Amino acid sequence: MNQTSDKTTHFGFETVREEDKAGRVQGVFNSVASKYDIMNDVMSVGIHRVWKDAMMDWLAPRPGQRLLDVAGGTGDISFRFLGRAGHGHSTVLDLTEPMLVEGRKRAEAEQMADSLDWVTGDAMALPFKDNTFDVYTISFGIRNVTRPQEALNEAFRVLKPGGRLMVLEFSQLPNDGLQKLYDLYSFNVIPRMGKLIANDYDSYQYLVESIRKFPDQETFLGMVRKAGFENAKYRNLSMGIAALHSGWKI
Amino acid sequence: MTENTASFDRRMLEALVCPLTQAVLEYDAERQELISKPANLAFPIRNGIPIMLEDEARPLE
Repeated sequence: MNQTSDKTTHFGFETVREEDKAGRVQGVFNSVASKYDIMNDVMSVGIHRVWKDAMMDWLAPRPGQRLLDVAGGTGDISFRFLGRAGHGHSTVLDLTEPMLVEGRKRAEAEQMADSLDWVTGDAMALPFKDNTFDVYTISFGIRNVTRPQEALNEAFRVLKPGGRLMVLEFSQLPNDGLQKLYDLYSFNVIPRMGKLIANDYDSYQYLVESIRKFPDQETFLGMVRKAGFENAKYRNLSMGIAALHSGWKI
Repeated sequence: MTENTASFDRRMLEALVCPLTQAVLEYDAERQELISKPANLAFPIRNGIPIMLEDEARPLE
């Protein structure tokens, strides 16, 4: 199955062969795993927490639901989901083993151990049967997937009929002036903070480049629909610095 | 890593399938592997976490 091809994709602003992207992404997250949570706080001035709470507000978890939390890394989404649902179950899936190991060390993971599974896997080839989950989330993960459309198709496959997709991802600002200001911040400040806090300039340079390369709100909405989701919609967060996309498998 | 003692939860087997063929997996407790016969691959379990990646799997003889 490991056939090589001439197809290319982007890794930040670099062009790489498709089969090389996953390894490069693993490299980034192996490198940042132990500092991932603190870096998120520093880079977004804590706002990633507000966005994740906004995701839960729209999702409105219900008791007994079964979540697949893709690119769930350190457990942020699963802990919130289980906390709000009261009782339920979450499978945290990530491409990068050290991210899961970090997540499992967190205090919430111990308190909720019976409701959590941790799996290393690929969003484009999920190790689950069709029609398994009530909810599929991917938070700041889909832009790192080599072929995002395939991840959305897989999401559709493993969701039960009536299941819900929710994607949280960095997005594009609605006007050029704001986008320029934001680019100034992200390209000048974030890699340097990465260097200071995690001693890793390159990984954070990748993060900001990958944000810029990701499709805008409307384009991504089209991809959600193409995967088969109905009633697909999005909401901007912080004017479009991030966006939430929602869809239903009817 | 301090979680080396973490064990694989067998209940997880009910949910997991082979990522390539979606076939049911067999659990080899001794080798800590999940076997996919149709794909001819053994997926490792490390620190209680199944690694369901083709690149990390061991080809079966």
